[in-house]
Amino acid sequence: MKYLVLAASSLLVVVVQMIAGRIVFLFNFLDLSLLLIAYWALYRNRMEALFAGSITGILLDAFLGWPLGYHGFGKTLAAFALGRASKHFTLTGRAIRFFAVGAASLLSSASVFLLLLALQRSTEALFLGAALVQALFTALVAVALLAGVDAYASARAGGVAE
Amino acid sequence: MPVELAPKGREIRSVWVLVFLLFVHLLLISVQVRSPSGAILLKQWALTLGTPLLNLSVAVGTAAEGAWTRYVWLRGAREENLRLRESVRALSLREAEYRELKQQNLRLRSLLEFAESLPLKGRSAQVTGRAPGYLAGTLLIDRGSTSGLRPDLPVVTAEGVVGRTVLVSPIGSQVQLITNTDAAVGVLVQRTGIPGVARGMGSRTMEVSYISNTEQVDVGDLIVTSGLDGIYPRGLPVGRVTESKKGNLVYRHIVAEPAADLMRLSEVLVLLENRWPEAGQQ
Repeated sequence: MKYLVLAASSLLVVVVQMIAGRIVFLFNFLDLSLLLIAYWALYRNRMEALFAGSITGILLDAFLGWPLGYHGFGKTLAAFALGRASKHFTLTGRAIRFFAVGAASLLSSASVFLLLLALQRSTEALFLGAALVQALFTALVAVALLAGVDAYASARAGGVAE
Repeated sequence: MPVELAPKGREIRSVWVLVFLLFVHLLLISVQVRSPSGAILLKQWALTLGTPLLNLSVAVGTAAEGAWTRYVWLRGAREENLRLRESVRALSLREAEYRELKQQNLRLRSLLEFAESLPLKGRSAQVTGRAPGYLAGTLLIDRGSTSGLRPDLPVVTAEGVVGRTVLVSPIGSQVQLITNTDAAVGVLVQRTGIPGVARGMGSRTMEVSYISNTEQVDVGDLIVTSGLDGIYPRGLPVGRVTESKKGNLVYRHIVAEPAADLMRLSEVLVLLENRWPEAGQQ
């Protein structure tokens, strides 16, 4: 069941990403799928986060019309990195969350870029620039969203306590 | 209730899952993406990864096959070599036998011609043995009393006198060579007709005795039987003078070498009579 939820949420995230990106240009610099992965890695299960990364990546490729696997590879790596970071560091502070999510996003983009290079696909330096902007923007949004999740969780925990 | 994995176990499992997922993604990519040359990447990768293994397996296979083939070939070659050696040995023996037969044929023909040229009856005989020792001075032949042989018959070859029969059995005889220390042959120097006695010296030569210092005997003179000993008919070649000088006393010191090659005798002729037939009997 939880993998079904995982798959459904991944699909939803990618669809939203596609639609939102077409409507608002800025959404092209927000990696919604990475937000989902970060949530799964930091709040749920690191193993499931790996699957979340894989599924969202494959769906992203499918929607983008890329050969399946590029984003899956990158997002899986990002999920693993975030999972590891959450294990070894306390990712509760905003700054460290910003850094961790930003680094994971960069890792994802860089791995895709390297894959493209390795497979002799056409690549542009612009890709790395856009990846950097995407990492910053995504990390920023992630910090805000995860703070919201924290607030919601603590409010819920307070409600339950009362 | 599911058993919780230890943190370390979960870590290792997550790494394996990561590796598996990354591999799946790479596989997915490779199935779809084509290389610049147009080949599907998966095939190209498989080829790239598989080629060294294939090359290795082919090399190992070739080496093993080569080793096996060489081994079998070597085994075959060894057996063939043995067969060929055996064949060569057999052929060599046959050739040696053939050469020997040819030589024997020549000797026998020569002996036969010699026998036919003689006005005496004779029996050809095969030398079957030689007494132990280089200079033993006797030999054995395959003719005996059943062939008409008896003691004191002259034994000759086409080249000259060999000796005389001393012991005769029904199927074989012992021949005393003229070089035997006990042997003595009445001889003449053919050129001058001077008589003497040739005695065996126990070596390859004979000493010719009883020829006066005043007589002229030269090296190379032919010594023939005189017929005076009652064993050898007159005129058979005995040997040639190899040394002739004045002796200390009355007689010359004369050494002669047998006319027949006594060391390489194979066939001989045994004369069944000791003297030439009278002129009327011939």
